[in-house]
Amino acid sequence: MADDSPASHRRDPIKSSVGNVAAQRRRQNAVTVGKERRESLVRAKRLCRVGATGDGDVPVEENDMITDEEVSLLDAQTSSAVGELKSAVAYQGKGAMQKRVNALRELRRLLSKSEFPPVEAALKAGAIPLLVQCLSFGSPDEQLLEAAWCLTNIAAGKPEETKALLPALPLLIAHLGEKSSLPVAEQCAWALGNVSGEGEELRNVLLSQGALPPLARMMLPNKGSTVRTAAWALSNLIKGPDPKAATELIKVDGVLDAILRHLRKADEELATEVAWVVVYLSALSNFATGVLVKSDVLQLLVERLATSNSLQLLIPVLRSLGNLVAGDSHTTSTVLVPGHEITDGVIKVLVKCLKSDHRVLKKEASWVLSNIAAGSIEHKQLIYSSEAVPLLLRLLSTAPFDIRREVAYVLGNLCVAPTAGEGKPNLIEEHLVSLVQRGCLSGFIDLVRSADIEAARLGLQFTELVLRGMPNGDGPKLVEQEDGIDAMERYQFHENEDLRNMANGLVDKYFGEDYGVDE
Amino acid sequence: MAMEITQFLLAAQSADAKVRTEAETNLRQFQEQNMPVFLLSLSVELSNEEKPVESRRLAGIVLKNSLDAKDAIRKEQLVQQWMAIDVSIKSQIKDFLLKTLASSVSEARHTSAQAIAKVASIEIPRKQWPELIGSLLNYMTQQEKPASLKQATLETLGYVCEEISHQDLVQDEVNAVLTAVVQGMNLADHGPEVRLAATKALYNALEFAQTNFENEMERNYIMKVICDTAMSKEVEIRQAAFECLVAIASAYYEVLEPYMQTLFQLTSNAVKGDEETVALQAIEFWSSICDEEIELQEFESPESGDSGPPHSFFIEKALSSLVPLLLETLLKQEEDQDQDDTIWNISMAGGTCLGLVARTVGDAIVPLVMPFVEANIVKPDWRCREAATYAFGSILEGPTVEKLSPLVQAGLEFLLNAMKDVNNHVKDTTAWTLSRIFELLHCPANDFSVISPENLKRVLGVLLEGIKDAPNVAEKVCGAIYYLVQGYEDAGPSSSLLSPYLTDIISCLIATADRTDGGDSKLRSSAYETLNEVVRCSNIAETASIIAQLLPVIMNKLSLTMEIQIVSSDDREKQGDLQASLCGVLQVIIQKLSSTDETKPIILQAADQIMLLFLKVFGCRSSTVHEEAMLAIGALAYATGSQFEKYMPEFYKYLEMGLQNFEEYQVCGITVGVVGDICRALDDKILPYCDGIMGLLLKDLASSELHRAVKPPIFSCFGDIALAIGEHFEKYVPYALPMMQGAAEICAKIETSDDEMMDYGNQLRRSIFEAYSGILQGFKTVKPEAMVPYAQHLLKFIELVSRDSQRDESVTKAAVAVMGDLADALGSNIKVLLKESAFYDEFLGECLQSDDEQLKETAGWTQGMIRRVLVL
Repeated sequence: MADDSPASHRRDPIKSSVGNVAAQRRRQNAVTVGKERRESLVRAKRLCRVGATGDGDVPVEENDMITDEEVSLLDAQTSSAVGELKSAVAYQGKGAMQKRVNALRELRRLLSKSEFPPVEAALKAGAIPLLVQCLSFGSPDEQLLEAAWCLTNIAAGKPEETKALLPALPLLIAHLGEKSSLPVAEQCAWALGNVSGEGEELRNVLLSQGALPPLARMMLPNKGSTVRTAAWALSNLIKGPDPKAATELIKVDGVLDAILRHLRKADEELATEVAWVVVYLSALSNFATGVLVKSDVLQLLVERLATSNSLQLLIPVLRSLGNLVAGDSHTTSTVLVPGHEITDGVIKVLVKCLKSDHRVLKKEASWVLSNIAAGSIEHKQLIYSSEAVPLLLRLLSTAPFDIRREVAYVLGNLCVAPTAGEGKPNLIEEHLVSLVQRGCLSGFIDLVRSADIEAARLGLQFTELVLRGMPNGDGPKLVEQEDGIDAMERYQFHENEDLRNMANGLVDKYFGEDYGVDE
Repeated sequence: MAMEITQFLLAAQSADAKVRTEAETNLRQFQEQNMPVFLLSLSVELSNEEKPVESRRLAGIVLKNSLDAKDAIRKEQLVQQWMAIDVSIKSQIKDFLLKTLASSVSEARHTSAQAIAKVASIEIPRKQWPELIGSLLNYMTQQEKPASLKQATLETLGYVCEEISHQDLVQDEVNAVLTAVVQGMNLADHGPEVRLAATKALYNALEFAQTNFENEMERNYIMKVICDTAMSKEVEIRQAAFECLVAIASAYYEVLEPYMQTLFQLTSNAVKGDEETVALQAIEFWSSICDEEIELQEFESPESGDSGPPHSFFIEKALSSLVPLLLETLLKQEEDQDQDDTIWNISMAGGTCLGLVARTVGDAIVPLVMPFVEANIVKPDWRCREAATYAFGSILEGPTVEKLSPLVQAGLEFLLNAMKDVNNHVKDTTAWTLSRIFELLHCPANDFSVISPENLKRVLGVLLEGIKDAPNVAEKVCGAIYYLVQGYEDAGPSSSLLSPYLTDIISCLIATADRTDGGDSKLRSSAYETLNEVVRCSNIAETASIIAQLLPVIMNKLSLTMEIQIVSSDDREKQGDLQASLCGVLQVIIQKLSSTDETKPIILQAADQIMLLFLKVFGCRSSTVHEEAMLAIGALAYATGSQFEKYMPEFYKYLEMGLQNFEEYQVCGITVGVVGDICRALDDKILPYCDGIMGLLLKDLASSELHRAVKPPIFSCFGDIALAIGEHFEKYVPYALPMMQGAAEICAKIETSDDEMMDYGNQLRRSIFEAYSGILQGFKTVKPEAMVPYAQHLLKFIELVSRDSQRDESVTKAAVAVMGDLADALGSNIKVLLKESAFYDEFLGECLQSDDEQLKETAGWTQGMIRRVLVL
């Protein structure tokens, strides 16, 4: 510091010799070479592909590396395969059908060979009109299957490539019908599922062309991969955001029954796809939600939650349950009535989810509980006396923020009685006193400090309950002990007027001039 | 409570080594037994006017060194130690220190000022010494206080400002400090000591003055006082004032417009007639203005036009007066000036500034400089010829090729002839100018060069003759050859032009490296580095046999270094330097020859001997490994592939040693890179060594002592190891993954305002992704489920990174790739997680639209992998 005079302010002279810079560059270069080699090695591993669709007859070679040369080779092969297909389609002589199938199969193999299917090359060579022609009515099943398969792989490409399928959509939809063989229908459903996954615009096209009813009907049988593929395609198709498709789906004859049946009996994989259908039905359409809650679906969801340990299944099932509880008051007021067996069942599975290691399950379960806790006094008492409360209290102090917020909603709801109209909510003193004694106040005060407006509001509301509702006027002291005054004073000049008024009001009212005078 | 320690402090400075050691031991014991009392005793000693100067000074220094250290970890320990001391003792120490500022002994005042600043650096940011500024200002405002106290107080204020950040003071305090400092510069009120201290303090306080510089009145006042001070009678004060102006040029460029007229006059007078120390600062002022304008020009984009800070074109406006001023300085060479890179005098500074001006204004400088060059280059006085050449060399970067190349074409022959000038200095600058020409105007790979196939022979003839000249000239000629050959790298057919001369060039460079008249090793290292560039850029098809002959020559030289007699540590260092140069050449030769299938066998045949030599080089040192040998071994491992296995039993201990070298972190970093090279070479044959290597790497990661720069390469290295050993990596997962997750969380907290930290954050993120990629790819076929529990954390991390708009492109690439690896390796295991994540569509969309083909390709692949998972 002081010993080096600032005169050391000096720059490197323009005239310098090369030695040091050069050595530095050389070492840098050696390090860079290592990095480049790492990259090319990993790249080679990534591009080492096996047949993507699990197709048994594509030869599987473990070291099937695809280099740039092979990519252009693949492109060239694809172009010529499309050329072959073209001449096969034009050919009318003996063995014409076999020729077409062979050409289609070759193209399909090329399109399935690598993770970079040569879609662009196929499109450029004019594959779509030929494939559409191969889908024409009356064609043999084998030909339909291969053509639909090619289209499935093309639909899995880039967005603009998926759009290239537009001319093929009516025929793909047509082959979903009852007259088609199952493998053909399933392959078409697969292609359509890929197309609807692409985005809202293509979903709307498919809906307007009538893709929904035949797909829905494919879901009706009891089992098989066709049902699963159809359910998957449907969950993509009704994703919205327009709720119309979801409403339409639930109205299709037999769909509700099929959903119930699959949820009751199907294996976990099928149940998972069906549960995703229920998720979107209940998330988007009030009508569908209304229909679902009047069915046995709640009971079935609860059973699945109780018996399954598959995370893949539990997530959509729990989400569906939450959507149904939150989406329709009928659920809590008439189905989940305290005293009914199903209500105890729901609480039990939610407790199971709260205990899970999985963050999403904990969060969703808390969200469902908060909706139930918003119900009647009896609902509140039921939760209050359940195993959920100690778990919630622990989560409130240890879980990540998003879970804590949901948990706080549950606990907060437990302490206030349902009210009609405006005004401060009435307290349930017993719950409040007990929860505060068990240490929940600090968790809420933490929320007061949060930058999330809604969480902060929740924290303030609960603080208000404590200040007002703890017997013997103990509230203010408790809040002070948890540094609540400091937390509220931060709102003194907060930009959110509502929160500011709330916090300032509480501080003035309970910690004004007279506070502490009695002691 | 304080102890009497005078005798020990005096004894510790005794000429008798025995007495000294004993006293130092005693002092250390006091310190260890009771730190607080020890520090208090030091402050008492320092403040006591009756004690000898020597003991007081040492007391102050020991006290200061107990509060701060250069090493960051040691420093943190000292800070914690100070904070742990009882408040009442600390406050006594601080009082003694403040009291000492009034001492009649200047050395006591000076050390006390330093110690106060160290305490302030700890306490002010923590708001634990709020009264300090007030106390210091109090000394300043009382008329009756002696000048010596005011001088010491100003000195203290300066040091304090240097130690703390401007955010640590409130604006009122800043205002008061600035007022006190600026008033201290007032000629009418104060003597030279006070004014000098005030001016130096202002230099440190300038960073605090942002608010004041925004206010026109305050700014005018401060500028006026500085300009007045810059004309003081005392040279030291003038220099300090100019240093303030240099700092202002950088910090407050945008408000300087109204003062430029005055500042030009002031700096111009200083450059022309003032003492060198002042003139150097005056030139530095203009260099700093160039820095600012070059930076503005670099960040200026046509679209965002006027949104950035304003460009005031000061250099352009001053050009016609500034350039002649700088050209004049070039004629002020020192007669027997040392010819090395550390020389800094007025002509050096002037030429450097001229180069910056050329980069700032481009073509406009050429007509202002060329008449000077033409008029002086033929004059009999060597100063004129050297200055003319230097001026020409300085302006070669900045102006357009179109403007420069006719001038260079016309002047080249003249310059080549000037390599035979009678004056050494002129030849030195001529060789340097040639190297600049080859660096900037010779690019056959882009079909442009001032060197034609016809004159290449003449150019090389002159250079190979010139390299035999005096060491300083030879070194500059090495630079010229370096850039000349560099131009032929990747130059297609043009690269053949050099091949016929290669043997001559190589022998000349080796002869130059062998010269013993260089004094130090600089000429040798320049010659070898130039040789490396010659090898690296040569056309391998035509020159393979020449390089193959070079290999045994260099190997022989390296083996001779083992026979150098070592009697002193100096000898050891010389041996190490020479080995470094030779290992560097071997590294480049190995890399070059192993790059084609035809030449690779040459390396494979010699590999055993080469490796033996490297092991011997390692054997020359006991505790550290040789950085360059390590680097060369990386190249050898790549060349030999799985054959490298046979060297591992011998080599492994040096690998361990390198991985444990915390002090020389570059060595540790290079060793980590070599582990990667060896992984790629050996594949699963590295398995027997992995327990040891992973153990050391994990230890390195956990160390707070190791420089952070090594940590990203370590994560990348995890990926290398996992790729090599596949499913066998599983046993390291419970140790490595938590480290990766922890580092990912650190990334989220990295300060975004600090460029250096941002850069580090990007490296760290990329390396964590590389680790995941390696592990996922390694597990893919056999044990993908082992990574399922970590998938969610990784996806969250990718999501977080994808939402960061500041992320580096290389981070984006690694993030997209690892997402594909995740889908590829874990398949349906992560179907739900992927369905749950909404972010990746947008992220992939962004990547698919990139201009970078490789990124696009990777994103396409990742998209394919994810789709496959979703339809499974």
